[in-house]
Amino acid sequence: MKKWILGGLISLLALCVGVGTLWAGEIKIGFFAPLTGFAAADGASAKNAVTLALEKINVSGGINGNKVKLVIYDDRVNPQESVAIANKLVERDKVVAVVSGSYSTPTRVTAPIFNKAGIPMVAAYAVDPSITRAGPYIFRTGFLGEVEGKAAGEVAVNLLKAKTIAMFTIDNDFGRALSKGFHERIKKFGGKVVYEHAFAIGTKDFSAMLTKVKALDPDLLFISGYYEEAALAVKQARELGLTCRIEGEEGFDSPKFLELAGDAANGVVITTNLNRDDPRPFVQNFIKAYKKKYGMEPDMVGASSYDAFMVVVNAIRKAGPNPKAIRKAIAETKDFDGLTGRITHFNKLGEAMKPVQVQIVKGGEFHYFGVISDPEIITPPNK
Amino acid sequence: MLGQQLINGFTIGSIYALIALGLTMVYGVLKILHIAHAGVYAMGAYIGLWVYRLVPNLFLAMLAAMFLSGVAGILIERFLYKSMLDKSRIVPLIASIGLFIAMEETFRIIAGPYVKAFSVHFRQKPWILGSARISAPQMLVFGVTIVLLVLLWWVITRTRMGKALRAVSMDREMADALGVATEKIILLSFFISSALAGAAGVLVGVFYNSVYPTMGDIPAYKALAIIVLGGMGSIPGTILGAFLIGISETFLIGYVNVPLPRDALAFIVMIAVLMFRPYGLLGKE
Repeated sequence: MKKWILGGLISLLALCVGVGTLWAGEIKIGFFAPLTGFAAADGASAKNAVTLALEKINVSGGINGNKVKLVIYDDRVNPQESVAIANKLVERDKVVAVVSGSYSTPTRVTAPIFNKAGIPMVAAYAVDPSITRAGPYIFRTGFLGEVEGKAAGEVAVNLLKAKTIAMFTIDNDFGRALSKGFHERIKKFGGKVVYEHAFAIGTKDFSAMLTKVKALDPDLLFISGYYEEAALAVKQARELGLTCRIEGEEGFDSPKFLELAGDAANGVVITTNLNRDDPRPFVQNFIKAYKKKYGMEPDMVGASSYDAFMVVVNAIRKAGPNPKAIRKAIAETKDFDGLTGRITHFNKLGEAMKPVQVQIVKGGEFHYFGVISDPEIITPPNK
Repeated sequence: MLGQQLINGFTIGSIYALIALGLTMVYGVLKILHIAHAGVYAMGAYIGLWVYRLVPNLFLAMLAAMFLSGVAGILIERFLYKSMLDKSRIVPLIASIGLFIAMEETFRIIAGPYVKAFSVHFRQKPWILGSARISAPQMLVFGVTIVLLVLLWWVITRTRMGKALRAVSMDREMADALGVATEKIILLSFFISSALAGAAGVLVGVFYNSVYPTMGDIPAYKALAIIVLGGMGSIPGTILGAFLIGISETFLIGYVNVPLPRDALAFIVMIAVLMFRPYGLLGKE
């Protein structure tokens, strides 16, 4: 009798494995990023980093023996297109999870669709606060603008000891959230903003603002923006003879910033999530492998996308290719060792908690300057 | 600070002038809005950068960019606009927008999506005038703009070609009836305007040390604001409009803390002027 039960169990197990193998072969993960249009450079970085991670996983046997397939779409930072992509990923491609390697706009409009369909999505570097509020299936590995703004404020007043600060704020949700957090933090320590001016994405000429700042002579100039604008602002600042310290944020974090700003980049301090001097071997290996494959240094967008993808992969490894189980596994992530630092956990909203890295440009390279892990600063909002 | 802001404003104005001039010339002869002009401008920047990397001579890079951009302009007229001239004006406009997008994506496919640095090392030290300074790249922008504007003025006012060009611009059919070789003149105006755009592309690439596929996005609409402000088709009006916008942008940003992006300011200035001069600064109707 006992033997019979055992036999039954074994055959049941075999059946499960059999069905498993039948179904096996492919786990589909969705991915979207801006591969054409004005944001194509960031899209390429995100796609390159995720492709690198994917190759590594598939070469070493996939997830629990199943190969991983990435279904990649180009959203062009266009909300209509993104909605169509989200529906395709859910209905036609039937992916088990999604990674957003895109900006806030596409991520924000697709979040409710994935949440409703019960497909978990992890956003890599989109900053809009409403993304994770779409529901329990949506997570984010990057910083919220406000958290990073607070960290940047901390760097300004306590690491760089600035009393008077001028600010150039990029005119979008990212810039405004950064500015809000920054103001909040420096106010607490008596820092004073003597000048703040918003500028549009794609601005090339900062001379008018810089001439004004030069006359005000502050201790520090905090610039938010992406590397194209940032490099121009920093370069023009030095050409105009501005000598104060310049601080930036993760938007600066690209080898292109260093290339475009040239010598003017030296001494610039930024808050970001990728520590180039990270002693952990897999970080250094990633940097090396990326350089070898793509002929350029990885940036923050790439590293963040890599992490978002790996969070999904880890969850599938633990829970199997079932969207509901994946969601649960992501929510239960503990001390995930990411390229961009250790994610201690995801909070109720799905926001990652991790330290903010502070880097300085020295000799045309990013190097370690400090790390901010004060929970008062880095804890993301809970609701 | 005033002097410095004036210099800043003139630099921007010079660049705007070079880009918008071509647009106004094309509008003058064909009465179409040539949006793909901004694509030609980006192409000029890429050609300039490519030549400069082969032979590090900025003068040569500029000439090559101007010539090849000019040829591209001729090809665009021949193969795109020519067949559409008797259709409604919306047809060439849409074709132009389509071509512009196609050009941007072609640049991306060929040269990659990342910004490319156009670093030129200037040995010239900045000139210090009181509290203001003119940097070497600014001198380059001024120099090239002045030379090109004088050259353009000479061609248009002092040569037979220029006379013919003005005639076509006033009334194409009449000029044709009077024996002006309108076809040739149209091609010539495309060549000149595209060459100017190519030069502007190289200048912007060097001045801002960056060349990228979508660098034409903002000029595509800002040049429109400038030619509307100057009076559609008027060359002196466009130059005036370009400097007016360059300087007002600089002053509004430098002295008044307007909570608006700089690119909106061009349109505000345009609207303000159009309220008093509905045909633009030097436009006639």
